[in-house]
Amino acid sequence: MSIEYVLLIGSVLILVSIALAKVSDNLGVPTLLLFLGIGMLAGSEGPGGIYFDDARLAQSVGIVALVFILFAGGLDTKWSEVKPVFWQATSLATLGVFVTALAVGLFVSAALSTSLLNGLLLGAVVSSTDAAAVFSVLRSKNVSLRGKLKPLLELESGSNDPMAVFLTIGLIQLLTIPQTTFGSVVLLFVVQMTVGAVLGLGFGRALVFLINRLRLSYEGIYSVFVLAFAALIYGATASIGGSGFLAVYIAGLVAGNDDFVQKRSLLRFFDGLAWLSQIAMFLTLGLLVFPSHIAPVIGIGLLTSVFLMFVARPLSVFLSLTFAKLSWKEKTFVSWVGLRGAVPIILATFPLLAGLPDAELIFNVVFFIVLTSALLQGWSIPVIARLLRLDAPFEQKRRYPIEFAPLEGVDTELIDLIIPYSSALAGKSIIELDLPQDSLIVLISRNENFIVPSGGTVLQESDTVLVLVNKSNLPAVRAIFEKQREPDEQ
Amino acid sequence: MKVTELLRNNFIIPNLKGTGKEEVINELIDLFKDDPRVKDFEKVKEAVLEREKIMSTGVGKGFAIPHGKTTYVDEMLGAFGKTTRPIDYQSLDNQPVHLVFLLVGKDNLVSTHIKLLSRISRMMNNDEFRNALLEAKTNEEILELFKKEEESYFDI
Repeated sequence: MSIEYVLLIGSVLILVSIALAKVSDNLGVPTLLLFLGIGMLAGSEGPGGIYFDDARLAQSVGIVALVFILFAGGLDTKWSEVKPVFWQATSLATLGVFVTALAVGLFVSAALSTSLLNGLLLGAVVSSTDAAAVFSVLRSKNVSLRGKLKPLLELESGSNDPMAVFLTIGLIQLLTIPQTTFGSVVLLFVVQMTVGAVLGLGFGRALVFLINRLRLSYEGIYSVFVLAFAALIYGATASIGGSGFLAVYIAGLVAGNDDFVQKRSLLRFFDGLAWLSQIAMFLTLGLLVFPSHIAPVIGIGLLTSVFLMFVARPLSVFLSLTFAKLSWKEKTFVSWVGLRGAVPIILATFPLLAGLPDAELIFNVVFFIVLTSALLQGWSIPVIARLLRLDAPFEQKRRYPIEFAPLEGVDTELIDLIIPYSSALAGKSIIELDLPQDSLIVLISRNENFIVPSGGTVLQESDTVLVLVNKSNLPAVRAIFEKQREPDEQ
Repeated sequence: MKVTELLRNNFIIPNLKGTGKEEVINELIDLFKDDPRVKDFEKVKEAVLEREKIMSTGVGKGFAIPHGKTTYVDEMLGAFGKTTRPIDYQSLDNQPVHLVFLLVGKDNLVSTHIKLLSRISRMMNNDEFRNALLEAKTNEEILELFKKEEESYFDI
């Protein structure tokens, strides 16, 4: 296909996805499912008729997308919020994933009367919850949760992919390389996780250090720098045998909780990139699947899906959180937010590429599980939260009318001041105040309104103003705001 | 959000014992010491005292409104107290303080925070309301006065 067609089709698919995402917001359909659906409709057997069966390309798109989704997810995670739930989430992300894989594995090998290893492979592929799906459901406007459930679920979904990736790769090795032993798989696990975690920490620190000292002359280059750095973290870690996914997530977490130049614009850039990655990934995976191949596995798919949702996931959650101070209601809710998403589908391409005999079956069953999980669980999460009385009253998500980020070399801060009752400022316009250079009244709160002032705006007693001041000017600004009316004026 | 949604009977002290600015502020903050909405009590205290350093919140006419924003609370907090004797609060009009409103805002609810600040200082600028508060003796009376005064205001 020539490049203009690739661009035309790619862009149309993305634009249609965005347009429909707005609709899905109102319907409550998980957005990601919609992207997947558009991919399927555009695909070989849909009206789109685009023939696509390149599992290797799809896998590559998936891995690249996941790298940026995890990095952006890490950047956006507040350590202070997730710190109290760190051990619970870690337990879910390791023991929980393992129990899920094992339970599903045993069930599938019995139900399909296939070999235990084949069953376990399917279990491993579907064992992690999806960060993109969980984030988008929990951050949508329909859900507001009490307590520490939101950070717990987000941290779990952000950090459990490496375990699922590891289990899948380990099992494929056991299936394809005869001399592999369980001992060598355990060793692989230790190496993957340790190297991934250590390099993630190191790269995260290095990123902050470098970005604060680079002093690049063009603002735009900062995004490119961090983009390349994120790719480097995955590439470098994976090529020396560590878990690249774990490394990018941890590096994002480390960097995101530190201060660096251009932080706000970089966060916004990566937020956009994460969306692009999600759309591209789900569209590609939707294109890759052949709905006619899924039809024959609906029976076993449904069975496995129900087992996963109602037995394996609750079992793994309750086991992993045995010692956690959470009520049974909270644990039940965590069990229900076991959304599967792109990772299982990407992982299902691994057996395909390894040429395993049952790979095609695994792929189609996995695809079906993801569909049902995203549909049923994604849709019902707000309802379940309400039923279990775990939903919190909505916090006003209204943003500050202006954003403020510390800038390199500029020592300014935003302070709130109240115009005192007998202030000499009341009745004066802002231009008359003679505020020093580098200080600015950016907002006035009066009655129920916000006023964005101009030089002619007149201040009143008891107005609350937001003032942007250079720290060195603070005494001068304070002197102005402390001025009282002369007694004869009162 | 209204001021009277924040203020409860048990967050009102009709007779603050403190004799100095910091003592009085601490007395009000201490009301929230074991409050489940407070994630880190010391950090909350720090936020209020830090803001006080920038410019005195004694805005005049015997009223002060110590406040601060922090991430360490789950919800906004409000408390009100009357001093038993006049306090030197380093007020901007150099008058001693009798009435103190403490407001602790959440970092991600800044607009509500500044709107409440502006609302409280506007309410307290009403001489009649201030005098009625000075007369009031019990928590219930004080809360009732706030409710009546705020009736004429819109919801923020």
